[in-house]
Amino acid sequence: MAQQANQALPNGYSLEEYVIDRQLSLGGFSIVYLAKGQDGVQVAIKEYLPNSLALRNAGQIMPVISAEHLGAFRYGMKCFFEEGRALAKLSHPNVIRVLNFFRANETVYMVMEYEHGRTLQEYIQKHQGHISERFIRGVFTRMLNGLREVHSHKLLHLDLKPSNIYLRADNNAPVLIDFGAARQTLLTDQPMLKPMYTPGFASPEHYGSRNDLGPWSDIYSVGASMYACLAGNAPQAADERMKKDSLMPAMIRWDGLFSDRLLEIIDWCLNLNHLYRPQSVFALQKVLVESITPPNVKTRPTWINRFVDKLRKVDR
Amino acid sequence: MRFTIYQESRQGGRANNEDRTSYCYSRDALLMIVADGMGGHHYGEIAAQIAVQTLADSFQREAKPGLSDPFRFLQKAINNAHHAILDYSMRRQMKDSPRTTCVACLIQDSVAYWAHAGDSRLFLMRNGRLIAQTRDHSRVRLLLEEGIINEAQAAMHPDRNKIYSCLGGPAAPEIEFSRKTPLEHGDVLLLCTDGLWGVTSGESMAISLKGANLLQAIPMLLAEAEVKGGTHGDNLSVVGVRWEDAYIDEASSVISTQTMAKNEVTTRLDQFGRNPAYKSDLSDEEIERAIEEIRSAIEKYAPNK
Repeated sequence: MAQQANQALPNGYSLEEYVIDRQLSLGGFSIVYLAKGQDGVQVAIKEYLPNSLALRNAGQIMPVISAEHLGAFRYGMKCFFEEGRALAKLSHPNVIRVLNFFRANETVYMVMEYEHGRTLQEYIQKHQGHISERFIRGVFTRMLNGLREVHSHKLLHLDLKPSNIYLRADNNAPVLIDFGAARQTLLTDQPMLKPMYTPGFASPEHYGSRNDLGPWSDIYSVGASMYACLAGNAPQAADERMKKDSLMPAMIRWDGLFSDRLLEIIDWCLNLNHLYRPQSVFALQKVLVESITPPNVKTRPTWINRFVDKLRKVDR
Repeated sequence: MRFTIYQESRQGGRANNEDRTSYCYSRDALLMIVADGMGGHHYGEIAAQIAVQTLADSFQREAKPGLSDPFRFLQKAINNAHHAILDYSMRRQMKDSPRTTCVACLIQDSVAYWAHAGDSRLFLMRNGRLIAQTRDHSRVRLLLEEGIINEAQAAMHPDRNKIYSCLGGPAAPEIEFSRKTPLEHGDVLLLCTDGLWGVTSGESMAISLKGANLLQAIPMLLAEAEVKGGTHGDNLSVVGVRWEDAYIDEASSVISTQTMAKNEVTTRLDQFGRNPAYKSDLSDEEIERAIEEIRSAIEKYAPNK
């Protein structure tokens, strides 16, 4: 890696009223720390520190921001504010809460609640291919409650993926985290920074002119996340699917292993054409909680169906 | 119809651009619109956008290819825009509706008809001289006309940005109409916001646009005005047209509507949203303000408080 990585603040460093415990994660745009507040409550603190624009060397506290990068640094800060603004307005058990926001060390910090748990990504990796339908339905139905709240504030998450779905340790309650890509859909249509997305989970609209981004784009990511739960890894990236779609429909890949309904829903969400997906989280939730099992009517297969079935089997 | 047209909107030194411009033409008619969303009220750019869009939509609906009564068209369209802004703020339950000025000009059969509310202006220039201009709906203009203050005082008056007619306010806009004004070959009509006329006089613009190619001359005017406006200068926007006799054949930038279908309308209207060229230079105060805003949102939406 040519790019120098930023050094995290030292453990035990006191930042305003918080004391840094340790670094939790390091991203291209920020560093997340685990810290303790005055009242002893654990919090997560996200520090805005884009790798390419600001550099903190070992032993330093203040990052070095060269004059030529100052404009871009501040520009990115604006996006960080957008994230703060987006989250501050949301108060929902399935969405991470922002507790504080402040400026220090020439950059800005966002303080969020912290709870023990793990991300859905970690859970998937641990349970490779052995995740029950009950678990999936339970997590996603509740996670969609949070997403509904997000959309009702005219916001899109735009970076939904298993590693951004956090599961609380005590009851596996999902919490949406990392709104770094979230965007107010009202008033803005131009992306403020270069697109931020994760291949495999980003919708086809993420790649194009982004004019078509909407609730359905987050819904594609929901479908991709569910697909990843079954497959154990991310589905084929949407841009590649647009060129040559080799993603096997869930309906075929896991036929008989999960309910047809769930598999159908996954394929529905993963439609490349955004108009063919569920258009709102509500529509998706409705079918997800519906648990009617359609009567298993066995019709006598006609010769053409028999022919098709045979072909299908060969295909498999 | 033959004409050369140019529109541009610049942000100046402001944090965002609340000006909107548009023009549209059919085979027999041309409509130009400039709206200046009012700062001080929230979402001025939304009001301006609604105004411009409503007028352009009306034109697209009704100009097939001409309009039976241009003044009535302007009156109706501007009033509709006013109500559309009120509807918008009602739907969003805004405490204060967004407001905008509006100046619109319609040309048909080589006759110009214009109407305005607020302090965005229209200038008619012929042979480098100003022959008509709109009168601002501002207190300063009233004081000026009564001789209480002079031009120099007006330019520095603390209330020079206050206007008494606009779209989106609690009172219906006071719309002022022009006379029917026949155009001659080479006439220039310029619709602009105060960001431009506030720093450049109409007379001097008339001189610099005389015989010039609008596609080059207007950007130069704007660049000059932007410099004069300084680092905190207002948004500046303009739509300018040079009218030409239908039988004279020259410059290639000229638009001729002769070959247009009867029910065809061409519209130039920027999509709503931030200008992609929008560059942000976040100042320290803006950072403080953003943090303050986020903190108060956290406070406001915090549960169990």
